[in-house]
Amino acid sequence: MDYTNNQLHIIYGDATLGVNGKDFQYIFSYERGGLESLKVHGKEWLYRVPTPTFWRATTDNDRGSGFNLKAAQWLGADMFTKCTDIHLKVDRHDFAELPIAPFNNKFSNHEYAKSAEISFTYQTLTTPATNAKIIYNIDDVGHIKVTMRYYGKKGLPPLPVIGIRLIMPTAATGFDYEGLSGETYPDRMAGAKEGKFHIDGLPVTEYLVPQENGMHMQTKKLTINRETTQNNVDRTNEKFSLSIQQAEKPFNFSCLPYTAEELENATHIEELPLVRRTVLVIAGAVRGVGGIDSWGTDVESAYHINPELDHEFSFILN
Amino acid sequence: MQANINWLDNPEVFRVNQLPAHSDHPFFRDYREWQKQHSSYQQSLNGKWKFHFSANPMDRPQDFYQRDFDSSNFDSIPVPSEIELSNYTQNQYINVLFPWEGKIFRRPAYALDPNDHEEGSFSKGADNTVGSYLKRFDLSSALIGKDVHIKFEGVEQAMYVWLNGHFVGYAEDSFTPSEFDLTPYIQDKDNLLAVEVFKHSTASWLEDQDMFRFSGIFRSVELLGIPATHLMDMDLKPRVADNYQDGIFNLKLHFIGKKAGSFHLLVKDIKGHTLLEKNEDIKENVQINNEKFENVHLWNNHDPYLYQLLIEVYDEQQNLLELIPFQFGFRRIEISPEKVVLLNGKRLIINGVNRHEWDAKRGRSITMSDMTTDINTFKENNINAVRTCHYPNQIPWYYLCDQNGIYVMAENNLESHGTWQKMGEIEPSDNVPGSIPQWKEAVIDRARNNYETFKNHTSILFWSLGNESYAGDNIIAMNEFYKSHDDTRLVHYEGVVHRPELKDKISDVESCMYLPPKKVEEYLQNDPPKPFMECEYMHDMGNSDGGMGSYIKLLDKYPQYFGGFIWDFIDQALLVHDEISGHDVLRYGGDFDDRHSDYEFSGDGLMFADRTPKPAMQEVRYYYGLHK
Repeated sequence: MDYTNNQLHIIYGDATLGVNGKDFQYIFSYERGGLESLKVHGKEWLYRVPTPTFWRATTDNDRGSGFNLKAAQWLGADMFTKCTDIHLKVDRHDFAELPIAPFNNKFSNHEYAKSAEISFTYQTLTTPATNAKIIYNIDDVGHIKVTMRYYGKKGLPPLPVIGIRLIMPTAATGFDYEGLSGETYPDRMAGAKEGKFHIDGLPVTEYLVPQENGMHMQTKKLTINRETTQNNVDRTNEKFSLSIQQAEKPFNFSCLPYTAEELENATHIEELPLVRRTVLVIAGAVRGVGGIDSWGTDVESAYHINPELDHEFSFILN
Repeated sequence: MQANINWLDNPEVFRVNQLPAHSDHPFFRDYREWQKQHSSYQQSLNGKWKFHFSANPMDRPQDFYQRDFDSSNFDSIPVPSEIELSNYTQNQYINVLFPWEGKIFRRPAYALDPNDHEEGSFSKGADNTVGSYLKRFDLSSALIGKDVHIKFEGVEQAMYVWLNGHFVGYAEDSFTPSEFDLTPYIQDKDNLLAVEVFKHSTASWLEDQDMFRFSGIFRSVELLGIPATHLMDMDLKPRVADNYQDGIFNLKLHFIGKKAGSFHLLVKDIKGHTLLEKNEDIKENVQINNEKFENVHLWNNHDPYLYQLLIEVYDEQQNLLELIPFQFGFRRIEISPEKVVLLNGKRLIINGVNRHEWDAKRGRSITMSDMTTDINTFKENNINAVRTCHYPNQIPWYYLCDQNGIYVMAENNLESHGTWQKMGEIEPSDNVPGSIPQWKEAVIDRARNNYETFKNHTSILFWSLGNESYAGDNIIAMNEFYKSHDDTRLVHYEGVVHRPELKDKISDVESCMYLPPKKVEEYLQNDPPKPFMECEYMHDMGNSDGGMGSYIKLLDKYPQYFGGFIWDFIDQALLVHDEISGHDVLRYGGDFDDRHSDYEFSGDGLMFADRTPKPAMQEVRYYYGLHK
């Protein structure tokens, strides 16, 4: 298929929605509840569907203040994701129901659109439960604006983080970003310098006990570089990249080889698994790390994430 | 005199035959030796020593010090080093509680009952490991015919010394030099030095610092050849006049030996101009009082200007016996009527760190390279002050601080945390030193050792009575010791917060640890009776150091707030080869099957244990740069 005129080719599949264009192919899975494939220039960027993330590996200060005990429900909500609703809009057409068989029998392999929007609603496995929605907005050249909306609810425990976790099939060789130097958090970013930075590999900050690390606040642009794929026919080992740009506001991210749970489970750096994948967390709300003491005093309240308020953030994949 | 193992149990015996603590000045035979920074009067005994390890005092080879003892089955161990790190006995990290927690029940002698001697508590302690060290040596030619002293710069925790079968002396206080006179028993050749090192003694109650619990000869050992007339002690008190421009130079010299001949004294500035010159006959005690130097160049962090003092000691035939070079600065620290701490008349702000001596491979047996690296890290990151938590450091560290303008809070070797705080609650029923008479001299001696050894270092602005030892009559007596010996520095102690009624007798400054910013502000808003500091703040365990700005902004609002020392500079973790991953990895408390342990609490540094900075360092550099 030759895509020349800035249109999206929409594939109304039986279990997925395909969105294709020049040099990109996206598959949204109704079964997996999210973006299953993000293929750009023939390279796959997703290992599993992106999910909301609510947990950060307990820091020493979090453990000391008992924050992990208070927030423990979010660990389950982070590990296990329940997708409760999917909503699709193509151009101006709002689908009341997902266009699966027999509804999609009316479509052909020649369905085109200027834009598509698909949103996934996730119910958090907390008591009380609340919802988080991830909305993918695809424009005519295939840029995806990703928005996550968290719906606050009274009675929820304090939040470690609100973000989206994207896991890539292989480990990145490095990343470049435009933002703040070093590892930064809302209550520890005054000393950072603004600039463009290159990071080799996926360094984990080697705190004695593995814990939350590697956050980069106030980022305008991030480019992740990989050289390998899991595709058995692709053995080129040439660098390929994915860029993430800020939407209305800068975003926060960490780019590590491990999930929060993998970090949480290790008591020493050498217990962490072999470096195999890239775990990108784009965070809308980041909790401070604190430092007054490590045995009781919480992070200063200005750097808490209020679970009872709504939070929303966006970024652009291209 | 014979050695007595019961000294281990007796808090009133802490030094036997030890020479009095004195200033740490170097002495060279002549200018050439000074140029080469090598004194022929000093003979290092560092290197391989014969060594035998015993699990407890009952198992130790009691007569190993005798000349005819067969030591053919002894191993060898490097001196200096930690016994544990040669894998003779288990590494253990523990914070507040004592290392015998859950294994042996102990209470400090006299703490609960004035008649309770606690005999055998340590001399028969099943956990009291013993290192029996032997060293054979010949005197270097420069030492032959002279009085010979031996100086142990640091031995944890109690030691007995013999030379050629004769008992020489006994010492505690692990972190200050212990010096003995070997002259009565020394031979030119084939001397046999025997040192018996116990891991525990009553000093264990006073050395309950939050750290890996090591033992052994962990700092250098050297012989000192004493010239016929020798400057044993010097007490330098350079003052700054009330106009903050002129210097007032005071010096006391104490000579030993023949005490005959003369000395030639010079004070020069960095351009070689001579500010003071004296030629005087030697007496046992000489004083130079109130020599006025106009328009001196003051010493501070940005401009650590040091003057050169030179003392040439001559015998009656005008032969140079020794040359003492020492560098000092003029600086003045005081508290204004508004309760602001002033250095040279200007507000002092401490951008400090607490620093344990630590090397991931060597434990507390650190190297010169560790020290110079740390100074460079300080300079790169706007760290202007260090608290020697919680014991005196190696001697070269104080010289580096003088030269680099690092403000030092020089802390005694004292922490008795586990005797008054249990599971976070304050429970001082068995606290030592408290107000118990039998514990008084031991802690005064620690104050004296710290003061006498380091008193001439310009960089020391504060004497600290120790860490987390509660407060009572004996801490008051330590405070009085410093006050009666030194009016050129301030005295610091935090632990008096638990007994506020003693605040007018202990500490010139109000010191807290880990007080949240809001509480700091409350103190400062209420007409503070003393200047305020945090001797420990910003607990840098793991991913931390958030919210530092809340403290730093108080500096702009309250001149009575003079900053603090971050806890702490470097993680305590040991580099170990991991057989499973094949990597060298850093291990913390509990990783050696050591129990009871406080696990990862050993790592609270701005630096990882391998001396790479943690990411938080850029934040420290920024905030500490705001009030340079």
